[in-house]
Formats: sequence, structure tokens, C-alpha cells
Amino acid sequence: MQYLSINKEEWDKTIEQLLLSYTIFAAEDNEFGIDYEIVIPANINRISYNRAKPATSLKTFFLPVKENVTTDPSVKKQRIIIGAPNCDIHGLRILDEIYLDKDFNDLFYRERRENTILISIDCFEKQPHCHCTSYGIKPWASDDADLAAIMVDNLIILRVISPRGENFIQQFSLVKPLNDEKVISVIEKAHNTTESLLLETNKGLPDYKATGTIVKEAGREIWKKYSAKCVSCGACATICPTCTCFLLIDKEGFEKIKQLDACQYPGFQRVAGGEDSLFVLPERFRNRYMCKYVWKPEKFGSIACTGCGRCIEACIGKINKNELFIELAPGRS
Amino acid sequence: MINTKNIYKPLRAKLTEVIDESPLIKTFVLVPEQEFSFGTGQFIELSVDGIGEAPFTPSSSPQITDKLEVTVMRTGYVTEIMHALKPGAFMGIRGPYGRGYPVEVFYGKEVLILGGGCGLAPIRSLLYALEHIKDNLEKVILCYGSKTPTDCIYKPLFSRLNSIEKFEAYRTVDRSDDEWDGSVGVVTTLLNRIKIDLKNSIAVVCGPPIMMKFGTIRLLEMGYNDDQIYLSMEKNMSCGLGKCGHCMMGEFFVCKDGPVFRYDEIKNTPDIWK
Repeated sequence: MQYLSINKEEWDKTIEQLLLSYTIFAAEDNEFGIDYEIVIPANINRISYNRAKPATSLKTFFLPVKENVTTDPSVKKQRIIIGAPNCDIHGLRILDEIYLDKDFNDLFYRERRENTILISIDCFEKQPHCHCTSYGIKPWASDDADLAAIMVDNLIILRVISPRGENFIQQFSLVKPLNDEKVISVIEKAHNTTESLLLETNKGLPDYKATGTIVKEAGREIWKKYSAKCVSCGACATICPTCTCFLLIDKEGFEKIKQLDACQYPGFQRVAGGEDSLFVLPERFRNRYMCKYVWKPEKFGSIACTGCGRCIEACIGKINKNELFIELAPGRS
Repeated sequence: MINTKNIYKPLRAKLTEVIDESPLIKTFVLVPEQEFSFGTGQFIELSVDGIGEAPFTPSSSPQITDKLEVTVMRTGYVTEIMHALKPGAFMGIRGPYGRGYPVEVFYGKEVLILGGGCGLAPIRSLLYALEHIKDNLEKVILCYGSKTPTDCIYKPLFSRLNSIEKFEAYRTVDRSDDEWDGSVGVVTTLLNRIKIDLKNSIAVVCGPPIMMKFGTIRLLEMGYNDDQIYLSMEKNMSCGLGKCGHCMMGEFFVCKDGPVFRYDEIKNTPDIWK
């Protein structure tokens, strides 16, 4: 893996220069934690490095909550996103499967994917519900992103991940190859520490393969028990990096507005005449688990839960899906 | 090669004729502004400008490409407004979507079609397609059931079918009226009177979920194998593109992987009859 470095001050100036030709979004520290903000010269110094995930998932940049999909899909200005953790980068795989499929390519999604440079960050910490490693995802990116940015002392270290990332970074003369073994060992040590911490704090949590079997075999009582506090608000699906369901709303002139939807909303599968196979709450609740842990992996061969833990954080009923999986873990009496 | 077409944009189609089929059912004759063709059993998303869209399988012949017919039952918000449209109005069409009936697989076979209620609309399109290739078929039998005699649309269709060589059509009703002198009973009762070479047959089932369920069970009892039965599934197909998630049935997107499935493909999928 190729590492490059640049002085933090110079990196900030580089970002300021890039603002002339790119729209840049970055994960920034704010009073509530970390979330994406649009970068302007005044907030470049608030870009967060080495921290765990932003509150919002990466999907928002590619699948807006609401958009007119009968307009011109072209992206006017190229974009850079700084600060996506590896869990979210991984989440894009299933989005690509669905939105870039060979039969029906979504031009709006494709334009955004092709015109966005993804600069991931390495997580040198974990948040309470992070459990990416349980599903085979490392807390740092080694594929699917273009670059990864890490801060070590007063240096920004850039790990080159894709050819596009390599081309992009070549234009900056102040970015030099990193040959300091000490810095690389600081990064590797931080990787190991975070990974160990994630594994240790998620001991007993079944891995992704096991979750599918657990969900398939779980009885009605489990779904009744865990859905008892669900108010069908759809927060879990809205915040999820891999939930992509939507609704098409008609506007005059045969225009279509595409709006994010959630299978947790009543009426999601209602057909003309009123039949609704997900009318009963425990069945609707179960549907999301079946989709994430059984159907999507079967259909796309790709995981549909990245272990980011946002659904647990967002749930106003304090439903913790990991508690469900631990309760049903194989070997647990 | 990547398709650069905007998959969400409807094609405008002029409504040229509205045919009253029953108090609740009308057939809309549409002339698209651009070339449009479909395979029998595929569906379209038909929209009323600014109101909404809903999935329908065209009921006309797939061989006719300058216009298409869509039979619509008034059953909800969008179809209520559709029923108020007059000739001259413009509607939106997206599609055609999904896997239709694989008529090429039917060559050399006896085709049994089991239909119920509104299922007759897609079946009519299939019958036109089969009529077109009748020289390559052994036999086509339609068994159709409706709740009452007045619920049955396309009435002249039955006498016409019975006049076509190799075609037979039978009707039954759940509840008769004073004028009805035909069969009374659920559609599966018609299966007792047909003669079919099971080994060289395929069956098509299309209708309401409850009829599809018991129709399939009856066909299996008769000796049909799972891979001889084709089902036209009905879910909330909203985008038609395998993306929006509304029509998921297990791991299948009914809109893209279906709506026509062979029974062996889905028999282990939970809740298929819901």
C-alpha cells in the first residue's frame, strides 16, 4: 500500500485551492459530534481525522432524500468527500449493485458516483455501537475508496487506494512519498488497537453469516418482543447506509420525484384493493432483518449491514438489533 | 454498453378510446408518441399526469405495436381518476418491465390457462400471442372463473376462442344470476371436464392470490410438476426497475425477476400467496 504525506498546514491550503474547482464535503467536529458539512475556507480547520463515523451515512451524497429524477442528471461541479469511514465505503457496494445494474442504470446515481472523489478516513477510535469487524469489515479502507487520509502529529498521510486517487493526488507537488517507517508503524499500531477494541467489545456478537441463519430461524415471539417498542418511524432505514428503498411521486408535466422510503412505514407493500402483506408490525419489523441478512446477501452476494450501528443510535424505541442477535446466538442457552 | 436512457421518465401516450367493460372496469386504448412494444405478460407503469402511476399488464396483442390496450379496474385513488379520463387526454407509460410469458417454451405443447377475476386482462394478451403461434401449439385451453356473470369482461372473447382451431374456453361463476345457465363453482371445478396430456402440457395461472394458491394446489394434485406451472405474481410494483423495494418477495424483485415465475423458482419463498 502506497503512503504519501503532506504537512497539515499545506494540506489545508490545498483544500482551499481545491474549493475553486470542486464542491467539497467533509466530516467535521461540531457541538453534537461529527457530521458532514460543506467545506468553506472558514471551516477547513474543523475537518476531523482518525475519528469514528459521522452521524450521517455516505449514501446521502448519492441518494438524496428527495430529488426530481426527470430533470438533467449531469453533475455541474465535481465533488470531493473527505471523512467516509470504511463501513460506509463498503455500503456503497450494494448501492452500486442496485443502482448501476446493467439493465436499469440510474443516471443520477451514476453521475454522482463518477464525479465524486472519495477520501476515506481510518477510524482510530470506536463509538459505542460500532461493530464493523463482526461483519468482516476493517476500520480502515483498503479498496473501493480513492484515498484515505490519516493525521499523524502535524502530517496528513494519504494512502493511495484507487488509480483515480493516484491521478488526483499527483497534481499536488507538496505531497511526497512517505518513507518514514515510524509514521507507518504508528498507523499500523492504531489499526491493530482499534480492531482489537472492536473485536473485544463485540465479543459474542454473531458474524454476518450467522446472522442470516438466525433471522431465518427466529420464531414469531422474537419479532413480537423486539418490535414491541417500534413506532414505525423508519429512522433505522433512513440512517442506514445500505437501505435504498424509495417512492416515486408524480408531479405535473409527467415529472417524477424520487423520495427515500422505508419498509417500516405502514402501507409500504399495500396494493390496490388494500391487501398489505406487511400490515402487522412484527412482520414489518422482521422484513427489514430478512432483507438485510438473508435476501440481499442471497441476491447480490454482498453484505447489506456494515455494522455501523447507526440504526441502534437512531431508534427512539431504543431497540438494539445486536441484543437480538446475541440473544439468539448459536450455543447460547 | 451502458444505457443512457433516463429510466424514470415516462413516454407520453394519447388516450384514443375508452371502452366500458363493466361498471368497475374500463379498457383504455393508448397510442404512444414513440415506438413502443412489449412481450406478453410484461407490465407497464401507467400514469395520470401529476396524480400517480400504477402497474398494469397490457391486455392487447403484443403483435400490435402502434397502440396498446390497458384494462383497469377502479379500485383506488389513481384508478378512480383514470376512469374519469376522456379520449384525447395524455397518459404516461414507463416500461415494459419484467419477465413475461416465455411463449417459446410453449412450442409443441398443450397450454392450460387458469384465470380468475381481473387476471383475464393479461390472459387476453397471452391468448392473442398464442393465437399468433397456434400452428406451433398442440392445444390451448382457458378455464376462467369470476365472482358473478356480470364480473366477467370481454364476453365475446369466449365464443371467439371456441371458434378457433385448437382453442377451448370454459367459464364458471361463484354465484349465478337469473340469466346464467353455465357452470357454478370455483374455477378449479372446470379442470374436471378438460382433457389434457399432462406430460406434454404447461399451465399458466393468473388471478387473485387466493385463486392462484388453490389453482396451483389443484394443478399439482392433477399431476403437474412444479416446473410446468407458470404464475403471474402481483405485488406493489412501483418503480418497475428492481430498485424501490416495494415489490420484494423474498430475494426476488417481482417487477424485474417476475412478474411471471415458474412455480419451482418461488415455491420455497415465504408469503408468495399474500
